[in-house]
Amino acid sequence: MRIGTAKTSYLADEALFDTAVQRRWMVALLAALVLFPLFAGPYWLYLGCLVAINVASATGLNILTGFTGLVSLGQAAFMGVGAYTVAWLEINLGTPFLLNLIIGGCSASLIGMVVGAPSLRVKGLYLAIATIAASVILHFLFANWTAVTGGASGLTMPPATFFGTPLDQPGKLYWVIMPITVLMVLGAANLFRTRVGRAFIAVRDRDISAEVLGIPLLRTKLTSFALSSFYAGVAGGMWAYFFRVITPESFPLVMSIFFLAAIIVGGMGTILGGILGATFMTMVPEALKLIVGGLSPWLPDAVALLSPVRTIVFGALIVGFLIFEPRGLAEAWRRLRRFFHLWPFKT
Amino acid sequence: MDWLFLTEVSLAGIGAGGLYALTGLAFVLIYKATRVVNLAIGEILMVGAYVFFGFSAGLALPFWLAAPGTLLVSGLLGAGIERTLIRPMLGENPISIFMLTIGLGSILVGLVELVWGANPLRLPEFMPTQPLFLGEAYVSPKVATAFAVASLVVTAFLILFRFWRGGVALRATASDQAAAYSMGIDVPKVFSLSWVIACMTAGAAGMLVGAIGGISPTMGVFGLSVLVVVIVGGLDSVLGALIAGLAIGLLEALAGAFLGGEYKTLTTFSLLVLVLMVRPHGLFGTHEIERL
Amino acid sequence: MRMKYMIDRRAFMGLTAAAGMAAGVLAMAPTARAAEDATTDIVLGGSIPLTGVFAFAGEGIHAGIQDYVQIVNDAGGIEGRMLKYVPEDTAYKVDASVAAFNKITSQYHTNLYYGDSTAFSKTINPELERAGTMIMAGASFASELNDPEKYPLQFIPGPDYTEMIGILLKYIAKEKPGAKVAFVHSDTEFGRDPIAKGTEQASALGLDVVETIVTPPGSVDVSTEVLKLRRARPDYTIFHGYVLAPIPEFITQAKQMGMESKFMGTFWSMDNSMVMKMGEAGDGFMGVMPYNYYYDTSGDAPMLAKIREIRPEYQSTAYMQGFLTTMLMTEAIKRTLQDGKELTGANMKAALNSIRDFDTGGIIGVPISIPGNSIPVGRIYKADMAEKKMIPASDWISLGKTGE
Repeated sequence: MRIGTAKTSYLADEALFDTAVQRRWMVALLAALVLFPLFAGPYWLYLGCLVAINVASATGLNILTGFTGLVSLGQAAFMGVGAYTVAWLEINLGTPFLLNLIIGGCSASLIGMVVGAPSLRVKGLYLAIATIAASVILHFLFANWTAVTGGASGLTMPPATFFGTPLDQPGKLYWVIMPITVLMVLGAANLFRTRVGRAFIAVRDRDISAEVLGIPLLRTKLTSFALSSFYAGVAGGMWAYFFRVITPESFPLVMSIFFLAAIIVGGMGTILGGILGATFMTMVPEALKLIVGGLSPWLPDAVALLSPVRTIVFGALIVGFLIFEPRGLAEAWRRLRRFFHLWPFKT
Repeated sequence: MDWLFLTEVSLAGIGAGGLYALTGLAFVLIYKATRVVNLAIGEILMVGAYVFFGFSAGLALPFWLAAPGTLLVSGLLGAGIERTLIRPMLGENPISIFMLTIGLGSILVGLVELVWGANPLRLPEFMPTQPLFLGEAYVSPKVATAFAVASLVVTAFLILFRFWRGGVALRATASDQAAAYSMGIDVPKVFSLSWVIACMTAGAAGMLVGAIGGISPTMGVFGLSVLVVVIVGGLDSVLGALIAGLAIGLLEALAGAFLGGEYKTLTTFSLLVLVLMVRPHGLFGTHEIERL
Repeated sequence: MRMKYMIDRRAFMGLTAAAGMAAGVLAMAPTARAAEDATTDIVLGGSIPLTGVFAFAGEGIHAGIQDYVQIVNDAGGIEGRMLKYVPEDTAYKVDASVAAFNKITSQYHTNLYYGDSTAFSKTINPELERAGTMIMAGASFASELNDPEKYPLQFIPGPDYTEMIGILLKYIAKEKPGAKVAFVHSDTEFGRDPIAKGTEQASALGLDVVETIVTPPGSVDVSTEVLKLRRARPDYTIFHGYVLAPIPEFITQAKQMGMESKFMGTFWSMDNSMVMKMGEAGDGFMGVMPYNYYYDTSGDAPMLAKIREIRPEYQSTAYMQGFLTTMLMTEAIKRTLQDGKELTGANMKAALNSIRDFDTGGIIGVPISIPGNSIPVGRIYKADMAEKKMIPASDWISLGKTGE
């Protein structure tokens, strides 16, 4: 049951975490994130890092698609821009990794603005397809601008170093990736308490009305593109440090679809949705592998079914959530919470 | 300048363009009637090719049985998709439906892999293999056949749209659903019909594409080129799809011949961007005016 | 008009949750049996592409490794220690492969590893060196991996792609000195791998590279490319970076235009079943193959006989690859243990490199040595559609200093 949430100031009402219970849960979650590497093996740490990277990128896409209503199928390509920038800097200049990540984010955000430039004229589905075109063109650059990107064989980079310690294992990188992701997610959550973020939402709900209200459309849309690609660029940079090999085939169109699917499954236009969706979609293939592995004593050919089943489940999740739960996992979570708010009274 | 080479390349490009036009037509048909951007069109095409493979190689049916069978199954698939997935999404945000078709594409790929496996396969030969020379210029017999079939189907379509009751109903629905409904046209039925016909068309295109290039679960990427075609031509223009189909085919061939294979997609997608910048609704699409 | 569904939203969410929970429970289970058999068994981990686009190879590799492990264990293992094969499916995706690697190495003390792709081999290399406890081979013949300096703990169970092209060119130079050669390759990392080096080699051998054609991945119609090829009038056309499509259509059209070129391929397009799918067009298709085919009975080949005994039906060239990889790994371990050394990556690789004139029991028709990271031998085969077999068209060709 939820009681005692009376507030005495507007500031308290606008707070990101508005109740004591919520703050306590957040502390517990942070503690869990800190304690996780102490208990988890390399496999779980690997997955933890991968989830964090995907959460960062999905949150970025959510800013653009979920909050501003501009569908993009270029997220993976923007990640690629960030990844290539970071790798190039690390190999050729050897600058500190935090700086590299920021530059990677900025370069992705520049490209994002260029791609977003048609968004004033081109809307909806046409825009989505324009972003496909952008990712095809970027992909061509990755594969053919050999002097910078290493061509088809890509770039192989040294690990990030932190005061002389190479961060070459998931266990060490976790301490870089997870804090950055947490910061990025918090940043996104706070964004929608500001004028800029509110403008995004207004544009999503009806862009013409927003313009009438005095929101500069082009600037708002470009800001959204820039921010979203910045997130993608940083996520791509972290991806680069994590895998340390970047080839043109590292960031296919399917990956963009994956992120779009993640925010659909998680819930578009909620910060929680990006987190839940990316986590869920990253874990599903691994979970399927375990299920199939568990079935193999009874079903000898189970392993051969894995890839098709995974493809089907991926599609079915998109379709299923769109039809049955269009607001995604975030909505399911909210319903669960509401149940506990009213718990002893409504059973 | 080698004119013979240019002629041959152009012919090959236009031949391939016929397939783009055919598939683009299927795309436009669905968009016109139901306002759904069907990104699964490439995958439906792939399913068509595999169904044909199943009939002709698996069950060893002769061509004249296997081909209509494929069309039938494709049509049923279209009806099934429309009824179970698209109908419940009626009136939803177009972006959601667009994503739904992406999910659908993934499901279809998985199902095909489940039944036929992921390995590339070859369709049994059903096209003439006699080399064809137009004057001195060589044309691949398969591409020529595919082009001929595609033109036949397209012509049949245009005639049907013009004279058949169902075709007229389709056009009426496309231009104004409410008016069509009040004139006694069963609009939901028209929705189903458009999906059935479009999927049959895609299935036919799948047979042709498969016969030329072999089949594999990844052949759905053909849909990406078709996407360029329909955007350049305009999502709701049959004429646009036909012209853009041929133009894109030609452009691809010329880019491949004079720049190199890696420039093919770059060229077509650059054209796409260019068209979007100049005419955001495609060359022949209708410009929709937004009102508050 | 709302449709009535068999499952409503609640049921859908319930199903999703139940599946998640089941996965969670299963996930906790395997951690319990970690490291219990680290002292006795020698573990061969594998990121195997059992499904996905590379499944045809993955299935063969999987079977090949399984069979050789069985053979070793039936014979009492390696110096009394059993070999344990722990595969995991990757669907040919790099992140899935790395996940599998992390999972297997955290559950078992792994000494041997089989990787599924070039990208994976490159990605995992630093980790391999850091761990220093295993050697690795894989499905990739990428030229880049053939560098003992950069990839000290990996090897390629055959010639790398550049060496394959080299073997083809050597054959061509011998058959028809000064011949005109064309390369047709896919626009992928795999396709581009040997082209630049191959062109250099060709001119070194006095061959004339008249055309290099790139096809975008998944391209359907290749008419334009064939037209380009015809203008170049090559005597030999070498395909690289394909499994099947678009080779058959390419050859069909080229033949219809009256081209006289001979067509050649590299390892992954050379499996018997794949070549036979080309139908008529495949007749006379040639290519380089480092292994004997399953049905080869010409030489003294006890291992091939054994394979035919275990599996009466045709086994792919990928099977041979997996089989030979395991054989070489086993040999490396055996030599390390016999020397009384610890099973570290460096020791095993040194043992592997000590292999000289090794008899593979007929998997490769000549005795082999592994001086570096690859085995630069191969043979040219030619497809005979009437017999539905690949027939040797040359003797074993060996590159490298001691070869010939």
